[in-house]
Amino acid sequence: MAEIVFDRVVKVYPGGTKAVEELSLTVAEGEFMVLVGPSGCGKTTALRMIAGLEEITDGVMSIGGTIVNNVLPKDRDIAMVFQNYALYPQMTVAQNMGFALKVRKLPKDEIDRRVQEAAKILRLTEYLGRRPKALSGGQRQRVAMGRAIVREPQAFLMDEPLSNLDAQLRVEMRTEITRIQRLLGVATIYVTHDQTEAMTMGDRVAVMRAGALQQVATPQDLYDHPVNEFVAGFIGSPPMNLILASLQDQDGELVLRFGDQNVVVPASYRTSHRLAELIGARVVFGLRPEDLELASGEGGVLLEATVDLREALGSEKLAYLSFGADSGIVEQEIPRDDGVPVRRRSRVVARLGARADVHEGGRVTLRLNVDNFHFFDPETGASLRAVAS
Amino acid sequence: MSVVSSPMSVRVTSSRRRVVTRTAIFFAMVLMAIVMLYPFFVMLVTSFKTQNQYLTGHGTSTQSWRQLASTLPVYQQLLNSTIVCTASIAIILVVGVMAGFAFAKLQYRFGNLVFLGMVSAMMVPLQAIVIPEYVNVARFGLTNGYLGAVLVYAALGTPFSIFLFTTYFRRVPDELIEAGIVDGLGYWGVLWRLALPMALPAIATVTVLQFIQIWDDLLVGLLFLQNPAERPITVGLAALAAGRTTSIPQLMAGSLVSALPAMIVYLGFQRFLVRGLTLGIDR
Ligand SMILES: Nc1ncnc2c1ncn2[C@@H]1O[C@H](COP(=O)(O)OP(=O)(O)OP(=O)(O)O)[C@@H](O)[C@H]1O
Ligand SMILES: [Mg+2]
Repeated sequence: MAEIVFDRVVKVYPGGTKAVEELSLTVAEGEFMVLVGPSGCGKTTALRMIAGLEEITDGVMSIGGTIVNNVLPKDRDIAMVFQNYALYPQMTVAQNMGFALKVRKLPKDEIDRRVQEAAKILRLTEYLGRRPKALSGGQRQRVAMGRAIVREPQAFLMDEPLSNLDAQLRVEMRTEITRIQRLLGVATIYVTHDQTEAMTMGDRVAVMRAGALQQVATPQDLYDHPVNEFVAGFIGSPPMNLILASLQDQDGELVLRFGDQNVVVPASYRTSHRLAELIGARVVFGLRPEDLELASGEGGVLLEATVDLREALGSEKLAYLSFGADSGIVEQEIPRDDGVPVRRRSRVVARLGARADVHEGGRVTLRLNVDNFHFFDPETGASLRAVAS
Repeated sequence: MSVVSSPMSVRVTSSRRRVVTRTAIFFAMVLMAIVMLYPFFVMLVTSFKTQNQYLTGHGTSTQSWRQLASTLPVYQQLLNSTIVCTASIAIILVVGVMAGFAFAKLQYRFGNLVFLGMVSAMMVPLQAIVIPEYVNVARFGLTNGYLGAVLVYAALGTPFSIFLFTTYFRRVPDELIEAGIVDGLGYWGVLWRLALPMALPAIATVTVLQFIQIWDDLLVGLLFLQNPAERPITVGLAALAAGRTTSIPQLMAGSLVSALPAMIVYLGFQRFLVRGLTLGIDR
């Protein structure tokens, strides 16, 4: 068990692709860290650098206080679970799990003991004599886990280990992996592009984009206080609504305008957010889908909208709303310095109760939850939240 | 009713047609087997005659078998063939496995170019290079002794072996090798403990094909193994056939003896061989 530290780690592939940019990240002992981000953002590359499968171009990587930039993979004491499991086809389950120990010349009874123990944790005991090809996808996945567990390594690395499983099994293994990680208390770095996995499994979640780390925080913190438009739009399903609005001061009241809508911003946001400098200009107004509810009666901050589309998910209904032709909520691609644009969607989504009375084409009045407004700088995308002091 | 019965009748005719096809194939194969086995049958029958009995066509005798060892040093020559075969195949396998793994899995400059060069060597027939090869080997003084022939056979067999192992190892996923590395192996360990066990069918294929090729070869043995004591069985038989008083039954007995090892090896490894040759077709 050990701490893993990235200190301004850079990875440039031969050919010039900059896959990871000055990544600084500390994974504490026993912590479950999830790396999440869209495809191609450098998650796998970061993970492979820890394992030693990829050279580090610049910066310092250390495991348990030892700098490992030039340490061979076999000397790093790291176990990895691969996306396609990479089980050795010619070996039985038991041999697969014991292989790393055999390579390290552990005594045979010690290997047996650890394999048995891991098999018990993973409920694989009855399959120990089988070859991988005679196992189901979920069982193979568990063998891959077992191969990592028996090592009793400094850290587990997992690269989208659940992406080859069907939806139901994925949910099952999600809790299974979390359970085992808690049980063993080994630092784990888990790569996924599935934000549900990220939110449910991680002690902390690191969001990456185009090789750069955006934010590291607990799932709740990430959800409540995204540091920028990208994280806001990435985390949550459906993600946060991002509306480009003009901000005005009307008789001492802050008002957001988009389309024919006027939204009064509670005064408290004047201090909690750096809005003053943007009065008279535009801001990106962020609102989570669940912070919109059907209004019954007057009072509060209200929106009038037309329901374009309605999705009933059983436990809830999603309503996709529009605010008239010149609402200012259009599909937008906002270019960013790093070359990867941020997308703002054209429709606002509201997450409503399962029994909510909404119809496609109908008009609705919605009340906004004034406690959970988010504001971002339209130029940089950065959150305007004043850092809590 | 007719609606129900029509698919039924289709099924009946189609299954009947299948029986007919299968029977036809079966008889065609029996016919081919007869054509293939007939020479062996003739060899066997003829070897149990004396020269006179062979000419007149009547009677049997075990004379040619009893005298075989005295006219022809069969045992020594079988041993010679075995030594040359084993040594050549060992070189072909070792070079093939290592080069194949390197070409398939290690990235290095001009790797593909070198690979193409190697593989194109498969297209060069022995006959085209045999004279300069002979001159070379003779200059090194290797025409007496096994080494010259072994090296020539190895050189001829290696390109195919490299090609087969390269295509084989290319199908081994990178992640598997990386899993091995994370599990504590170095490149040698990966080759020895992961890649090699997976390559067993390819090893069997190369072994069988090369064994048959080298065992049955005459030209190289004739040219590069000039010391009569080191002659392989094929050369011995050729010498016997070229003699002035050739006993046909003895020649047949010798031929049977020389054909046997190649057949045994082929039949023994046949299962792997087929798997190896259809490599790359699936998936
Ligand atoms: N071996 C390589 N050589 C050159 N470029 C590479 C190599 N591997 C990855 N890249 C590039 O580096 C960037 C990051 O790739 P990486 O595989 O780390 O992304 P990822 O976040 O894991 O994506 P995904 O979710 O699709 O797996 C991509 O632009 C990719 O094209
Ligand atoms: Mg990846």
